[in-house]
This record gives sequence, C-alpha cells and structure tokens, in this order.
Amino acid sequence: MNQSGERTMNSGSVKVLLTSGRTLSQGRAMEKGKITSDYEDAVAVCELDTTAMETLGIENGETVVVKSGIGEIAVKAKLNKDLHPGMAFIPCGPYFNYLLDSYTQHTGMPGFKSLAVTINAAQGTKISTVEELAKIIKEGK
Amino acid sequence: MTEVKDIFKDVPCTFCGCLCDDIIIEVDGNRIIKNTNGCAISKERFLGHAENRCLKPTVNGKSVPLEKAVERAVEIIASSKRLLIYGLSSTENDAQREAYRLAELTGGVVDNTTSVCHGPTILGAQESGEATAALAEVRHRSDLVIYWGANPAAAHPRHIPHYIRQPGEYIKDPKKDRQIWLVDVRTTTTSRMVDRFIRIEPGTDLEVIQTLRALIRGNKLDVSEVGGISIADLEKMATSMKTAKYGVLFFGLGLTQSYGRHRNIDAALRLIQDLNAYTKWGLMPMRGHYNVSGANKTSTWVTGYPYAVDFARGYPRFQPGEYTAVDMLARGDADALLNIAADPVAHFPREAVAYLAKIPVINIDPKINMTSKIAEVNIPAAIAGIECDGAATRMDGLPLYLRKVIDPPEGVIPDRDILRMMIKSLEKVIK
Repeated sequence: MNQSGERTMNSGSVKVLLTSGRTLSQGRAMEKGKITSDYEDAVAVCELDTTAMETLGIENGETVVVKSGIGEIAVKAKLNKDLHPGMAFIPCGPYFNYLLDSYTQHTGMPGFKSLAVTINAAQGTKISTVEELAKIIKEGK
Repeated sequence: MTEVKDIFKDVPCTFCGCLCDDIIIEVDGNRIIKNTNGCAISKERFLGHAENRCLKPTVNGKSVPLEKAVERAVEIIASSKRLLIYGLSSTENDAQREAYRLAELTGGVVDNTTSVCHGPTILGAQESGEATAALAEVRHRSDLVIYWGANPAAAHPRHIPHYIRQPGEYIKDPKKDRQIWLVDVRTTTTSRMVDRFIRIEPGTDLEVIQTLRALIRGNKLDVSEVGGISIADLEKMATSMKTAKYGVLFFGLGLTQSYGRHRNIDAALRLIQDLNAYTKWGLMPMRGHYNVSGANKTSTWVTGYPYAVDFARGYPRFQPGEYTAVDMLARGDADALLNIAADPVAHFPREAVAYLAKIPVINIDPKINMTSKIAEVNIPAAIAGIECDGAATRMDGLPLYLRKVIDPPEGVIPDRDILRMMIKSLEKVIK
C-alpha cells in the first residue's frame, strides 16, 4: 500500500497491508488440536478482496505466496468480498507469524495488525503442513 | 451441586474470557458426549477433549515415566542461567502461583500470554487509571455498547448473545433500548450483528479516539475527516456517547496490537474518563484466553506485577520490552524455556521462534501443539475445567470455580502438580 492508502499493482502481484486476527474456524480447530488438518485448513489461508483476486488472476482456493520483509510463505487464497481493497487477512497462527518481525515498540507486543506484504499467484506451489512448518523452523530455514 | 448422575450443570466454559458459566455437560463413562449452551468453540473444546492429546511424557521424543521427564526438566532448569517461564493463560490460578514460585526459586523470568494480547492495555491503565464495569452491570444498565477493534463473533462467540443482547433490570428490550456499535478496520461477522458499523482506516485508532475526545469537550476542528470518517459523523458519535445513560467500550486486539500499542489504550481510557464528566461510562478489554485475566491477577498478588517479571536479583522487577517473552527470545536472552499451557511456536514471530529452536524447551500442555514439536521435554497435563478443578478469572475480574467433569487420562496430572514436583526436586538441587 502506498502512503495515500491506495493499493498498488505490479504485473500480477499485489501490495497490501496484511492483518491477522481470530476466526471461528481457527478457534474451533485450535481447540481440537493444532496438529490436525482442520487447523491447517483454518490458518493456512489468505483472505483477499475481489480486485486483488482478479489482479492475481486466481480463483478461490488457489495457492498464493505472501512475501514480507523477512520471508515468504505459501497459503491458500480465499475470496472475502467484504474486505476493503488494499487489505488482506491471514488468521492468527504460524503462517502469518512466519512473515512477522519481532519488533515490539518496546512493549512486548509485535505488530500483528499491520504488515506490508506482496502477494503473488503461485499455482502448484506446495503449502507446508503445520508439522512441516515446525520442522522448517526447528532446522532454522 | 446440581449433578444428576452424569449431567453437570452450570459448568464454566474454559475457552475465552467470557467464562460462560451456564454450560451443561453430559458425560458417558469418561467421555463428554454433549455440551448444551456452549458456542461452537466451546463444543469443540469439551467434545474434542480427547483429540490430539499428549498422553505420555517424552524426552527427546522417547516416552519416559513422569518422574524421569521431571528429572530432565529440573536438570535443564537448574543448569540454566536465564530461565524464561511463559504461558499460563489457559490454566488455573494455582498452577500460575506455582510458576511464580519456580521463577523466584530459579531467579528466572515469568511472563504470560498477556504480553502478546492485552499487555498494552495494562500499560495504558498504569498510565491513566481504568474505569471498568462488571458484565452483569453492563447487561442491566448499558444503553450504548461499543466494540472497538474486536470481533467477538469469532473470538468470544457468546459475548453479544449472552451478555449484551439480553434484557436487564433497566434495559427491558435489548434490541430497542440498547445500541451496539462496532469500530473496526474491516467488515467482519460482528459488523453484521451490530446496529452500527463504523469503518476506520488501518492505523488511525489513536487519531479517531483523540478526535472524539476533542469533540466531546466541545472543540472545533479544522479538518473534514479523520481516519476515513467525516467530522460530521464523528460529531454525531460524540453526541450519542455524551448523551448515553450508561456506555461501555469493549476493545480488542485491533487496538492493542496496532500501531501505537499502549498509547491507543491510554487514549481510550482518557476518552472514557472524559465521558464520565457528562454521564456514566466504563471500558473493558476483551480478554482472549479464559484465564489470562487470572494470570495478571495472580501475578500481581504474588509478585506485584501483572506480567514480564524478572527475579534475577532475588526480588521481582517489571519491564515490558525487556522481560517480555518475544523480546527475550528475539534478543537471545533466555537460555531455557519452561512453557505452560500456551503455544509460542504457533503464536510468536519467526525470529523469536527460530531462537526457541536453539535452546532447551520444556513444554507442559494437555495437547500436542507446535511447541511440542521442538521441545526436548514434553509433559502432558490434565485440562483445567474439564479434567481437574481450579479457579479462573472472567474478563471483568470475577473469579469463578472451575469444575472437573471427567478424569484425566491415566497417569496425567494437573499443571499445578507437575510444577510442584519440579519445585520439590529443584529445592533439593538449589540450596
């Protein structure tokens, strides 16, 4: 997003402000257990608005790669018609946090709500399972 | 007690800070078969209690007796120079108190999940004071309820239906006599449940709150809009807030985790204080984990501080940004982690998690979580409020007694007893 808050597009990629938060399915899956496909289905998704989906040329459920200043991760795109242009949303969990830096403004609290990211279509890219993600983190990749 | 055979009434739900205490749990043998009154997440918590469980203690992935796992945990703790104890928000008060004892004994740091949820709320309240309310008082009296940066439909599913859209002593018709607003940066399920949705631009909470404060004081502003809302609309909001008989502001992580952090809360608190010059207003954080509010209270009773407490000098010191878990891990300060009833690997930023993978981790949790996958020592625990009793604190500060409705899996004991075993063993080592 540029300084005036407009979404900028660049040959099939979108730059958006990524935010995270709770969803009902994330809460239910978390209570069932994190090492479950339910949890992965609930948190390895990125909600995008209609124009972002069109710009990326993707359909609901296709894979996108979300890239921040410190890393990138593949998640499933999910159309959210109510989302305001210029914003994207990933439910709170390990996939969002993989993109997040640790700066806390000296409060202890990282910036879970405002991450500048670039999103690209990535059809065919494998989405890591929760266990694979834990292994990637453990191996320091 | 109202149990009839295997039906437990008035069971507090140990999912979120609402601690709804009207849940009816039906048990068949040692299995929960029905949850009446609970929300969708509550049903998953109770009915899915046996799923994804950690049933045996492990050290380096190998099953060991509990005593052996505790022995290894004690070795790690005793040899660490800067132990971090973290979590505690999804367990009961007695376990929290044992964790503080352990921190004092080892000269370590103890932090709870507040640091990544409503830590800035506490910092704001320390700056400005807090005009709070009880949930029952809100139900009986409030004619204007504002949610700010919160999505209770997803995170606290019964907050609106159980506490807000209910008649009270002075609110006979909750749909007609009580207005519910939502201020947020995005349209959510909650925005479709409220009477009025006010969308603001991301990162403008502080400006919008300060504008409302200025308008409530009668100041004229020479701008046409703030945070994407016209001054005319903000003036109408200010007038409605001033003329409410009893208003309440519930705020979520949209306020604490966004740019400004505790300054947003500081401003919100002062907004409420300003409004109290004209009418009655209170505010309340939408606490997430069922006993994160309790973690703050027990930590304050025992150490004098609500989170981020360091015992390195033998007495407690409080310094967010210094002794908060994310900062300690990102800086590489801790040389061992004792994690209780939380999942930092799933919920911390990448850099902090990457460091966690380099130090010995002891993980106490009823279920297998992402932290289990990197922990050297995993110790299963009974689920508080389902498999053991205890006490927890609701988001408004009301303490409630948690119920045991079934037995834990064989050999699995409550967090507090695991911690007591560690303390007993440590006291022999550290003399």
